[in-house]
Parts: sequence; structure tokens; C-alpha cells
Amino acid sequence: MKINTKDMVCVGLLTGFALIGLWLNMDHNLGSARRMGPGYMPMLTFYLLLILTAGVFFQALTNGPDPLTPWSPAEIAVVVAGAAAVFVVYYAASHAGGWLGASWNPLGLALFVGCLVPSILKSWRPLFLVSASFALFGIILEPLGLMVAIVATVVVSALADETQKPLGVAGCAAFLCALCWVVFIWYLDIRVPVWPQLS
Amino acid sequence: MDLLANLAHGMGVALSLNNLLFCLIGCLIGTAIGVLPGIGPVATISLLLPITFGQPATTAIIMLAGIYYGAQYGGSTTAILLNLPGEVSSVVTTLEGYKMARRGRAGAALTIAALGSFFAGTVSTVLVAASGPLLTSVALSFGPADYFSLMLLGLIIAAVLAQGSVLKSVAMVTVGVALGLVGTDVQTGQQRFTFGIPELSDGVGFVSIAMGMFGIAEIILNLERPESRSVLSSKVGSLMLTKEEFRRAVPSVIRGTALGSVLGILPGGGAALASFGSYMMERKVSKGRHEFGTGAIEGVAGPESANNAASQTSFIPLLTLGIPANAVMALMVGALIIQGIQPGPRMVEAQPDLFWGLIASMWVGNLMLLVINLPMIGMWVKLLQVPYRYMYPSILIFCAIGVYSLQNNVFDVYQTVIFGIFGYLCSKLRLEPAPMLIGFVLGPMMEEHLRRAMLLSRGDWMVFVERPISATMLAIGFVALAAMLLPSISRKKDAAIQEGG
Repeated sequence: MKINTKDMVCVGLLTGFALIGLWLNMDHNLGSARRMGPGYMPMLTFYLLLILTAGVFFQALTNGPDPLTPWSPAEIAVVVAGAAAVFVVYYAASHAGGWLGASWNPLGLALFVGCLVPSILKSWRPLFLVSASFALFGIILEPLGLMVAIVATVVVSALADETQKPLGVAGCAAFLCALCWVVFIWYLDIRVPVWPQLS
Repeated sequence: MDLLANLAHGMGVALSLNNLLFCLIGCLIGTAIGVLPGIGPVATISLLLPITFGQPATTAIIMLAGIYYGAQYGGSTTAILLNLPGEVSSVVTTLEGYKMARRGRAGAALTIAALGSFFAGTVSTVLVAASGPLLTSVALSFGPADYFSLMLLGLIIAAVLAQGSVLKSVAMVTVGVALGLVGTDVQTGQQRFTFGIPELSDGVGFVSIAMGMFGIAEIILNLERPESRSVLSSKVGSLMLTKEEFRRAVPSVIRGTALGSVLGILPGGGAALASFGSYMMERKVSKGRHEFGTGAIEGVAGPESANNAASQTSFIPLLTLGIPANAVMALMVGALIIQGIQPGPRMVEAQPDLFWGLIASMWVGNLMLLVINLPMIGMWVKLLQVPYRYMYPSILIFCAIGVYSLQNNVFDVYQTVIFGIFGYLCSKLRLEPAPMLIGFVLGPMMEEHLRRAMLLSRGDWMVFVERPISATMLAIGFVALAAMLLPSISRKKDAAIQEGG
């Protein structure tokens, strides 16, 4: 078989992107070529993308094989579970009162939990623990301040790498706290809570 | 002479204490990330973008430019001493440079890389200065239709020269353009693709895309690969060149500079392409070509000069036309726009401090880099002993604080997470993120020029073919695209890239 699997996945991804774009673009007034409305350029762009994707499809029929590393059933299962967790947590948090439902916290929590779920499997840890640690930074920053956020992010992201040792992580976190305080708070004076807010 | 007066003015700007300091910081950071494998200029510049907002625009650009060409200097160190490319643009330097190091001539290889880069930097600085006003006057006669075609040409060539499948790269450019359309429509004020999210009405965060797709995705990919950095084996040895080596290197440096200057101006070109091109050329035409594979100095001198020349001439399309030639330049456009400066042909007149100050700072920066790199080489070699497990948490934290401080909004942090995962997916599927970033930056500008052109032509699409400038651009773009889609030529391009990588 000379089918290029990687390219076929690309075709699926890009076609989906273009079709969703065209569907969303139905809300916008197209206008005419002379007086283009807000929907004209998106229309051109998404149609062009569809044409290009068709081109990729025909190339992919013959220029393979280029197999993807197959995911094990367990790997697929945890990713699906993670995606489900994103929706469940988002729905639950945005309907909960107080801090959980405030501003962007539902999105942050959903991303964080959604990324933690697939991290059960070792092979997913680099991808999802790094992402989770980044989302965690956003969740913690405003209520608990920069210092706690740095420590939490360093610790969670450290779990993604097996060569880390506890002492090294602690040192790294302490060093970064000091460095960020000097650079961002003392020198650049950015507006960000540094310590937990007492309210 | 006008040029000299302008350059003197630029020197005045570049030599002010603050600018000098930030030029030095840029060069130091550039060298550091150049030396370190696993972090490139695109990620670093997007990382540091938010930090530059507090500075005046000129200072910010001077520093960011310093990172880009500084990385070209630093990349050669790792390539020569460790047989590992510190940057993509120094991949070919590993071929001859490491062989020289094994023969005990590491010092000579480092010296010629630095001297060649300095020579190339000087020449290309003059080139940028001379061509800037010239191209600007040409660009001012461009109508909206010409601009649209020029940008289209830029996007096509950027995609054609990118690694991998041309069609997929063009598709990624289109995805970038589509992402660039998110936000408020300039003419009607209608919200497009914002899903009612107020944060998206200004468009998808540019810094979030760059950091996610280049910073975070790179970290994840690096963590998936086991660390392959070996312990330093070779000693640097004497930095002095022998007379023979010097005599052989000079013509290569000159050829590399010329080739690099030309390839840098091309959209989609830049440092990496230039060093590949120069290596190919040296292997064919240089006097020492029979020694290639055993540590020929020409194979270090040419590519290292070429990549530095290209990293500077790639500023030409940005400064004169406002069109980014590669992903780094797309970041510069982003930096300028956030500073409230619309890049384009009017920049030379409206922002003389920025234009001439940047050019003068390039030469000053090159001089600094020569000092930073040669006598202080030992310090950079030590830097290589810092393991990646201490580096990536630091990169993550700097990304997170930077992206938050843009608008003091955690939404940007979450947006970055999403683009990080998307960037990882793209690299697994061999979809290139660099063309997408260029498309993202150029998309909104293209829409505006397209609308204006069509309004002026009363809805007649023929305007793009009737105007000679526009027609020429479209013809070149068409030929480039057609040529690359022919199997025989695209195979050659792949072979050239393969051989280099």
C-alpha cells in the first residue's frame, strides 16, 4: 500500500477545519466583489483550503507509506476520557457558583483536569503534563499569586520528565521564584499578584 | 552623502546607553540560545516579546534583532564542538566543523565562523542601509492590487521553500490566514468567529500562537526524545588561523556572504536556507572541495557567513515593504504592531530613529558578538553542561508570565495551552507551523488590500493581471508553485534538504 496515513489524517483535520469555518461563516454578510462584506474573505480562504486539501488527498494516495506510530487502545481511551472530562468539568464549573464559575476559571479547570486524565499513561506525560502545568499556572496566578504559581507549575511539569530528582526540582523552583521576582516584579514591575490574596 | 548622514544618525541612536545595553542583552541571549540545542530564535523571541513592551519600539526591535543574528553566531559553537546543531541554520556546519575539531582545529573553525559572520554582517548591514530607501521609493508607487499580489507571492514562496510537502505548507498558510480573520471586521465592526468571547474581538493572540506552537510544542517534543547531548570530548585548541587556512577561507566567506544576502531577501528564505545553499556551492566550486568530508575550512566559512548575511538581509522586505520573509520576521511585525507602528514603506520616513538605529545597531551588535564569541568561548561551552531538565521549567514559566502580562488576562494563558497541543499535533503530522505564522500575520493585511483593490476596480478581478507590477508578482508566484509541484524538482529540493539535515 502506498497510501500516506499521516497526510490522510491531515486531510481529515483540514477538511473539518474548513467545513466548520464555512458553516460559521454563514452568519456573515458576503457582499459583492466590489463591496466585500465581512464574510467574503473568509469564504475565499475556506474554499481555497478545501481545494488545497483535495490536492493533499490525491497526493496522499500515492506518496506513502508514511505510517503514524499507532496509539494503543489504552492511549486512545484516556485521550477520549480526557476530552470528556474537559466538557464535564467546564459544564459543572460554569454552573457552580463562586470562584469556580468566575471569569475564565471553568475553562482553566477544564483544561487542567482534561490534561491530567491522559497523564495516567507514561507515554502521554510529556504532552499532557506540560500542558496541564501551564493551565495550572493560569488557575493559581490570580488567587494565590505568582510565587505559588511558579512552584506548582515547576512541580507538575517536572513530573513529565523521569530524569528529574526532588532536590533538583526544589532548587529549580526556588531559583525561578527569585529570578522572576527580580525580573518581573522589581525591574519590569508588571501588574500581577505576587503572594496569596488575603480576602 | 545622504546615506552616510543617515547612518551617522543611526549610530547616534544605536550608541545611546539604553539601546547599547539592550543590544548587548539581545546578543547575549541570542548566543546562549544559539549554543543550546532545543531552543530556537522563534521561541525565544516570542518568549521575550511581552518583556519588550515597556521599552521604546526602537530599543525593543534592536534587542529582538540581536537575538536573531546572535543565534547564528552561537549555533556554530555547538555544531563544531559537539557535532550537534545548536540551530537549524548550523546543521551543515556540523559536517565539516566537527571534523575540523576532531583534527584538533576546533579553535580555527570557531574563529573563521565568527570572523566570517562578522564580515558577512558588515556587508549585509551596508546592503540593508543602501537598499532600504531605494526599495521604499519603489514600494510607495504600489497600489493595493500590487500589494495584495506581493503578499500572495510572499506567502507562496514561503510555503514553497518550507520543508516538506508544498501543498501542505500552502494549506498551513491558508489556515494561518483563516486564524488571522478572527476578530472584529475592520470595515463593518461585525464580530467574526469570536463565539461571543470578548477576548477574541481583537483577534487570536499572536503571542499565544507563537509561544504555543514554537515554545510549548518544542518543549514537549524535546521531552519525548531522550537527551542526546554528549559530554564534550574535544579541546578548543588555538584560536589562531594558519596562513593557509586564512587564504582558503577568504573566497568562501565572500561567496557565502553574497549568496546569503540574496537568499535572505527572498520570502521564506532566511538563515537556514542560506547555509544549506552555501554548503552546496562550496562543495562544488571551492578549491578545497576534494577535502570535503575530512574537515575542509571552506565548509565552515561559507555557510556560517551565509547564515549571518541572510539573517540580516531578511530584514529588508520587512523594513521596506512591511512583509515578513520568515517566522522570525513575522514576530517582528507582531512586535511593531503591538508597539503601534504599522510596518510598511512609510516606516523609513516616519520612524527614522527605528530604521537607521536598527541598521546601525546590527553592525554594533556584530562587533559585540565577535567579542562575546571568541575570547569568551569557554563560558558558552560551560552553558552546554546545564541539563535540559532545568531549562524547560524556566522556559515554561517565562512563557506563562509573559503571555499573562500581555493583557493581564488568564484567557491568554489557556489559549496558549490549546495552541501548544495543536502545535504538537501539527509536528506529528508534518504540518509546518512557520508558514502558518506568516499567513496569520499577513492575512488581515491581505484582506484590507484586496478590499481596497476591488473597490477601486469596481469589482473587476482583472485588475490583478492588468497592473504590470501585480501581474509580474502573480506570474512569479505561479511559476514557483508550478515548478515545485513537478515531481522531479521537488525531489531535488527534498534531496538538498535531506543531505543538509
